[in-house]
Amino acid sequence: MKKIKWSLLLVLALLFSMVIMTACSSDDETGGESDTGSETSEEGNDTSSEGGENWDGQTINVQLIGDFNMEDSTDPITGQTTKGLQEIKDQFESEHPGATVEFTIMPWEGYTEKTQAMLTSGEADVYQMPGIADFAAQGLLEPLQPWIDEDEEFSTDIFIDNQMEGWMALGPDSDELDVFGLPFLGDARFITYDKQLFDEWGVEYLSEYPTMEEIAEKAKQMTGTNPETGEQNYGLWFRGDWSSAFTLINLAEGQGGQWGTGFAWDEIEFEFDSPEMVSGLEWLLEMQEYAPEGLVSNQGAEKWLTHENNIGIMLNQGPGDTIMPAYAQDLGDRIGIAQEFKNDDGVGGMFAGSPITMAKDSENKELAWEWMKFATSDTVQQYVFEEANAMPSVQSVETWDSYAEVENLMEPTVEAMSTPWTPRYPWASSQPRFILTSEVEAALTGERSAQEAVEKAQKESVEWLENR
Amino acid sequence: MNKENMKADTTVLPSEDVTTIKQKKRKATFTWYLFLLPSFIGILLFMVYPIVESFRLSFYQSNGTIETFTGLSNFQLVLTSATFWNTVWNTFFIAFFQIALTIPLGFIFASMINSVRRGQNFFKVIYFLPNVTSIVAAAMIFQFVLHPEMGVVNYALDAVGLPTSTWFSDPSTSKWGVILLAVWHWIGFVIIICLANLQAISPEMYEAARIDGASKIQQWLFITIPNMSGTFAFLLITGWIGGLQRFNEVYVLGGPNGSPARSIQTMGAFIYERGFTGFEFGIASAATYIMFIIILIFTFINLKVSKMNL
Repeated sequence: MKKIKWSLLLVLALLFSMVIMTACSSDDETGGESDTGSETSEEGNDTSSEGGENWDGQTINVQLIGDFNMEDSTDPITGQTTKGLQEIKDQFESEHPGATVEFTIMPWEGYTEKTQAMLTSGEADVYQMPGIADFAAQGLLEPLQPWIDEDEEFSTDIFIDNQMEGWMALGPDSDELDVFGLPFLGDARFITYDKQLFDEWGVEYLSEYPTMEEIAEKAKQMTGTNPETGEQNYGLWFRGDWSSAFTLINLAEGQGGQWGTGFAWDEIEFEFDSPEMVSGLEWLLEMQEYAPEGLVSNQGAEKWLTHENNIGIMLNQGPGDTIMPAYAQDLGDRIGIAQEFKNDDGVGGMFAGSPITMAKDSENKELAWEWMKFATSDTVQQYVFEEANAMPSVQSVETWDSYAEVENLMEPTVEAMSTPWTPRYPWASSQPRFILTSEVEAALTGERSAQEAVEKAQKESVEWLENR
Repeated sequence: MNKENMKADTTVLPSEDVTTIKQKKRKATFTWYLFLLPSFIGILLFMVYPIVESFRLSFYQSNGTIETFTGLSNFQLVLTSATFWNTVWNTFFIAFFQIALTIPLGFIFASMINSVRRGQNFFKVIYFLPNVTSIVAAAMIFQFVLHPEMGVVNYALDAVGLPTSTWFSDPSTSKWGVILLAVWHWIGFVIIICLANLQAISPEMYEAARIDGASKIQQWLFITIPNMSGTFAFLLITGWIGGLQRFNEVYVLGGPNGSPARSIQTMGAFIYERGFTGFEFGIASAATYIMFIIILIFTFINLKVSKMNL
């Protein structure tokens, strides 16, 4: 009896220790050598990264968001085989002998909270981080200006204009914007239009920098029964829910207005109820007459980027949903891109994309910096453009063959990337964005007038600021 | 074995037997505790700890890393927020009509299925299918079903000469779109539960009623319905708890802020919006506890009203 009891206890003890070991072990093969890694990091500081220095035992974990795969895969849009990250990993490791780079890939869905969890628990060294302003304020990110200053090989001139400025943020104890991230994935907002519909209606294409009046006039002309096909056409469409706040802010910018001022929460002053915002929202209400039903629930534009498209102009579009999908549908030459509404300084539209940042508690900061430079080099930037259906952030894009193939859509996209409102709206992921979005929806659905809606948005946003 | 040996055995055994039974009982109890231990640790780690931590967070202003003690101000902010009370209204509105429509409809369908002689299993499967469909997938399909221009519902309404609707694009109809989806998704479960109860009612009661001259309707009203009270109470309570926790479908249909114009934002979506899109974990935790208290009070009332004993 005693034997059985002891055997049972032994088995349980073994199981328990296995669970503990499994839970505490790292999936990093070199995880146990972190001390060595730190020492080597010191050596790395003394020597330059180039020239076959010793990175033995150093491992960095790189977090990426979106359509990245380690292995080769088939693109669901184009049907073409796309190369996996393994190729990038191999190249980086061959250029940095002894170093290991590992990837943590996550979907866009819920990336903010997942990034927060990873950052808090020190899971990765380098992060792709669209919400950089929130994380920099928590003191979790390494300031990058000293790294840029000390690295003679690196220059921020490689990036498309305004990209560096767009990602500047405030640290926990700073009153001035600082560099916490390097532009990794570019993005832009622009206006797209269907040239074929314009031709069928006999309407002149949109100018490069259209005004609100031009859009309204041409949208009105193209709403109704198409004179050639006999189909019902709509002049314009915009998303009336999720991104409607940004569409409205851009309309205000186009009239010389702005969302407000400040960057730190205690300095921010909203101007959601400015005259430009009121007239912008009234303009959207007017434009609704030339749009199909359902734009407040993201419906009505199902035929866009198909051969049966029935919409002339699309406001507030992005390159990810436009360029490659258009070419995949053999519509590359049919789609045109015009710039969003700009102010007198030629600036306007939401700044978007993804920077890469370094965790403040990274144990291998030298290697992490090496990765950041590598990720913004032509090698990786070309990879994200050609294989991951993402926009590069470097000026050299204009010299690539792959750019030349889609130049008619890429050229205005790069232009749009260089003229957004910077820095990024600090409230873009916070409560004021949802307050303003809900009020735009309320106006679009007739619940409130434009004036009442923006006044309510202003009041609620200010109250939210005061209660922070 | 000879008789003497047997005698000797019987004189020794009683005291040993008593000890052995005690030991066995203790060992058996110990073994069951051991088996319970893994799940108990899991509950402690993944349920009790988050509940306690969330309670602690509700007294702090927290973005996940930086925390400041703010006392009851999070509760005050939530309880004085018009947006929060709008989500309470939306949640109760959708849950009320889901329950008010689904339980009677499900019971009627179950009664009809119970009456047919052939194909009962076929109907059970057909009606139960929506319930096994992912609510996320179903919500996406419903966006097309209730599409203002291409939707099959508007097509049908138009075909019979009734006015069409823009459904999810109008705050006054979007809640009804969610209710339709919720009814469609839950009715299969209600039918199966009702059917189980219907088949448990003694046929002798119906036989006696028939002898007394009761009509089919009278049998249904005075035998079937009174015998279903326990099932109705169960469906009412589980329906309300599920309805008050609604999140998945409204998140798919209207995002975290319940577009359009927060018309379908539920309490669960409010918590998600504040917690996971704005890093306001303190507010989200306080809202979670307020939602818990609302559900607790409402379930208590339901238990009293339905006279259901737990």
